[in-house]
Amino acid sequence: MSVAEIMEARFGSRLLETTTFRDDLTYSIAPDDWREVLEFCKESPDLAFDMLDCLIGDHLPERMEAPLQVVVHLVSHTYGHRLRIKVALPEGKTLRSLTDLWPSSNWDEREAWEMYGIYFTRHPHLRRLLTTDDFEGHPMRKDFPLQGTIGGPIRTKLKGKI
Amino acid sequence: MSTEHEVTMEERQPPTLEELKARQARTRQNVGQDIEVLTVSMGPQHPSTHGVYQAVLDLDGEIIVDCRPGIGNLHRGLEKLCENRTYHQIIPMTDRLDYNSSFAMNHGFCEAAEKLMGVEVPPRAQYIRTMAHELSRLANHILWLGVHIMDLGTQTFFCICFRDREYVLDLFEMLTGARLTHSFARIGGVAKDLPDGFEEKCRKVVEFLPKRVAEYERIIKNNRIYYKRAKNVGIFTSEDCYAWRVTGPPLRAAGVVRDLRKDEPYAAYADMDFKVAVEYNADVYDRFLVRMTEIRESCKIIGQCLDNLPDGPYISKDSAFVLPRKKNVMLDAGAMIQDFYHVFNGPDAPKGEVYRAIEVPKGEMGVYIRSEGGGKPARVRFTTPSFYHGQALPPMAQGEMLADAVAIFASIDVVLGDCDR
Repeated sequence: MSVAEIMEARFGSRLLETTTFRDDLTYSIAPDDWREVLEFCKESPDLAFDMLDCLIGDHLPERMEAPLQVVVHLVSHTYGHRLRIKVALPEGKTLRSLTDLWPSSNWDEREAWEMYGIYFTRHPHLRRLLTTDDFEGHPMRKDFPLQGTIGGPIRTKLKGKI
Repeated sequence: MSTEHEVTMEERQPPTLEELKARQARTRQNVGQDIEVLTVSMGPQHPSTHGVYQAVLDLDGEIIVDCRPGIGNLHRGLEKLCENRTYHQIIPMTDRLDYNSSFAMNHGFCEAAEKLMGVEVPPRAQYIRTMAHELSRLANHILWLGVHIMDLGTQTFFCICFRDREYVLDLFEMLTGARLTHSFARIGGVAKDLPDGFEEKCRKVVEFLPKRVAEYERIIKNNRIYYKRAKNVGIFTSEDCYAWRVTGPPLRAAGVVRDLRKDEPYAAYADMDFKVAVEYNADVYDRFLVRMTEIRESCKIIGQCLDNLPDGPYISKDSAFVLPRKKNVMLDAGAMIQDFYHVFNGPDAPKGEVYRAIEVPKGEMGVYIRSEGGGKPARVRFTTPSFYHGQALPPMAQGEMLADAVAIFASIDVVLGDCDR
């Protein structure tokens, strides 16, 4: 059975949207199904997605009701197939962390949090990764200016941090 | 400490996953619960971190209890910049990801953009790309070898490697005009055709480098000091590699035959005859062996590219997505209008999202592009191998000695431009 058949047999109408663009299979799911779908992808012996290729945050300000988005790319080394799963998030909605399924999602989640403000519950330490600790705002959001910062100059208080 | 004879007996058969796990447990030292740790900050200015990587280490004597990596010192916000540039303008920025193998990075982005736009790349361009990609792999692995050995205390070998890397950089200079940041790939092909005299020079280098690799192996492979420093250090099994998304040479050193050049062929790799370098012991020593085999295979691929180089254009003529040739822009009004359109508005990409992963020298590099139509992408993400390799240092180094952490960090080949983006 192909990936599409297995996923549709298991989840049916809970897969909100199915798209295939340039042979990339994509499923959109609801935030509440997030954990269950990804656990199934990892555990199911017919899917066997043993590697999380990447977890990406995204911001779509024109989509008013759910401006944030998390995109996950999965790879299976057993079968060599790939899958993309998208979840649209309203502002303030949290997702369960995937660090216990794929530890590599740790830094991806930290990046998604600092860049977009997408909060992951049960993450071991959701701190800023690429920017300084006293950076304000989420710089990859579309409303963040390309030049300059919104919270004043960064690296204001280095005392006690070194 | 086992004698060398016993180790070679153990090596004769590739170890199973259970054996590797047992060996991993044996080589790592456990420390008690109530110990007083000494916290040392290695980096961001430490020479063995190959850039500005910081590892805060908790030590019990010389044993690493915990390791907390800190990155971001080289963060330039490339992905944010990409959202405000046209697709053509992004190509020079990808040079700055992994600056040791810039062409591979250009190539990765162009593959993704071509997938989004549905551009057909002519065969000659595919071959030139394959060749340039392998040249960047040569440059990367030779530099890696020099730096890795220097981290373990040999200064002279670094200079030997730099001398040999220079031959590859000379080829790049001839081909692209730049030694390090080439920006050579274009959407739909490459920037220039092969220059005169390139073929002979390139052939000389690819015939000469395997002899050099034999010399490296003579110096390093059977060197007792290197063997003791690298053998059974930093064992990371295939399961660990999947869990931490460690790809490329460290994954192949763990006995996994996984190479996107074979598994999901791109450019002209489907026509090439080469073997995937695999070793089984998953330690620093085997990562060295994998890279040495890869240099030999890369030389073979470049030779095959030169032998079978097809004739034809070096860039696609698809005017909707591809920049016109500069020569035509100066002479032809239509090409000039097209050029202005591309420079100001960018190519008219369709709406949609794509992800394309390719095998760059350090591992698997993926590019995610979400387009809402128009000349600028709405979101670009570079899924770079160094980002995940840098994250995998703590599970690799816990329980090892402090001096081994340097060897392990070098063996996973992290470049901070690639990591911080």
